[in-house]
Amino acid sequence: MTDTQINPPVIEAVGLSKSFGGFRALKSVDFTMPLGRIVGVIGANGAGKTTMLNAILGLTSYEGELKVLGHNPSTERDALMKDVCFIADVATLPKWMKVSEVLDYVEDVHPRFDRAKALDFLSRTSVPLDKKVRALSKGMTVQVHLAVVMSIDAKLLVLDEPTLGLDIIFRKRFYQSLLEEYFDEDRTVIITTHQVEEVEHILTDVMFLRDGDIVLEADMDDLTQQFIEVMVEKGKEEEALALKPISHGTTFGKSTCVFKNIDRETLAKLGETRRLGLADIFVATMTGDGQ
Amino acid sequence: MKIFKALVKREILDGKNGYIRVPLILAGITIALLLLSAIGFGDAIQFDEMHREGIESLGDAIALAQEKKPLEMPAGITMGYWGMTALPWVALPFVIFFSLLGSLYEERRDRSILFWKSMPTADWQEVLAKLFVPIIVAPLIFLTIVAVAQLLIALLLSIVVLFQGGPFFVMWPLWFMMKAWFGWFIMYLMLALWALPLFSWVSLVSAFANRMPFLWAVLAPAILIAIERIFFKTTFLGAWIGRHMGGWMEWAFQAKAHRIDGPRDIFAMLTGDAQIQAIAYSVTSFHFWSGLVIAAGFIYAAIEMRKRAI
Repeated sequence: MTDTQINPPVIEAVGLSKSFGGFRALKSVDFTMPLGRIVGVIGANGAGKTTMLNAILGLTSYEGELKVLGHNPSTERDALMKDVCFIADVATLPKWMKVSEVLDYVEDVHPRFDRAKALDFLSRTSVPLDKKVRALSKGMTVQVHLAVVMSIDAKLLVLDEPTLGLDIIFRKRFYQSLLEEYFDEDRTVIITTHQVEEVEHILTDVMFLRDGDIVLEADMDDLTQQFIEVMVEKGKEEEALALKPISHGTTFGKSTCVFKNIDRETLAKLGETRRLGLADIFVATMTGDGQ
Repeated sequence: MKIFKALVKREILDGKNGYIRVPLILAGITIALLLLSAIGFGDAIQFDEMHREGIESLGDAIALAQEKKPLEMPAGITMGYWGMTALPWVALPFVIFFSLLGSLYEERRDRSILFWKSMPTADWQEVLAKLFVPIIVAPLIFLTIVAVAQLLIALLLSIVVLFQGGPFFVMWPLWFMMKAWFGWFIMYLMLALWALPLFSWVSLVSAFANRMPFLWAVLAPAILIAIERIFFKTTFLGAWIGRHMGGWMEWAFQAKAHRIDGPRDIFAMLTGDAQIQAIAYSVTSFHFWSGLVIAAGFIYAAIEMRKRAI
């Protein structure tokens, strides 16, 4: 029995496309996401991230083939939502409900919700249970929503800009508890965010999107080994350019080059080397010819 | 079923102002006015100016009526209670209309639809719950509140009558009161089934309108009626809407001429004959069934809109 038979992929997409009128938001993309990964979907605004996630969540129609946990999301959203959780946007909790009523409702409709767990999460915050969501600050609203989704025993969690507008302390704490208390090998988490630096240390995989296309899909460890930046020593610029860097510029009067898939020892001869952060890899991939 | 129950609970919670507060306040006003007239303005209870046949108080009047027409009393008293509790019913059509109008619109406007859709509830369950609560649950809540108000009024008036030396138990025609509550609900169900195409039109508007659902729900049919009138010189749409808003009763009740002699006959007609006639007419009416088919179409369309909405 092969590995995929034991653990079928969480998501399988073949020729997944979506058009809005004449605009092609998603251009026939293929991808699979296995279980037990934290995948960062990264792209500029309008690159197709939300369209892709909406298709996965059964929130929009699409062309092509898509299976999420064996379900067809466009026709079986209700069944799918037993195993999938998502926060699609900030502040989608019903404002007229009290926090305790939100928990009541989820407890009533969701077979995999653990109220005690949610209360435990909330007890670590200053969120009052008897207040209406309307009366909470933006940060508190997100805390309630995160407490709800982290207390649902789902196989796939999709977070679309989950921490937008929250302060840095909360964001750090959130990602930490996501990693330590929620994530395990039986779950997959998909995250989109503009604050790439904050998630890169927890991601296992990344997917870069541009203009409705997947331009890169990689394992984080492999990816960060592929890209190396060199502060080229004076006099070695031509030698460096001969190795075809995917981008080059000047920092503090020194020329810097970014290389992809070139042996680190070779590059060390040109000058000081360092690994690129995910944000830099993204920029290099999008602006240079690194793809 | 568990999920549907949870959705119904949520809808009641969401609309509790219209479903519970409004009838409570109106019933409260009714009872307060009655209390005031009993305590503050004795005129309604103590008939100072009236000395006919020795009637000086409500107690005297009830005692006399009971003596002269005992068979008419339970029906008469029950209908009196209904007359006194007419106020809450004024609000019911507005509550139903505006609840339906907002049911699939507000969740899109405030984006909470994204939260509802993250739960394992099907769109058809959501749409049906959002129809069921305003159309069935809200009237039941109104009825319950009115029934309680009628019991309170009975208590209040029977105490007054008791103090004035009148017959206490005449003020408690419980069996008739129960028959009236039941009869009202059956009649309401028939009205609601007839109005289902109109209700589901409002629900559909609520599912597709991006702005101004009120104008869509009301103005669109009004414009169609005007166009029909101007260009075709006919009034089919207007007549159709009128028929489903209650106009059907004109046909349902024309068949039998009633011999009405006193409250007992009226009561018997309102709580028995009328229901039977309404049901008998409706199940054999093409308009009734075609209305239900149209309603099913609108509801189906609303579910499809809900599936695509984010």
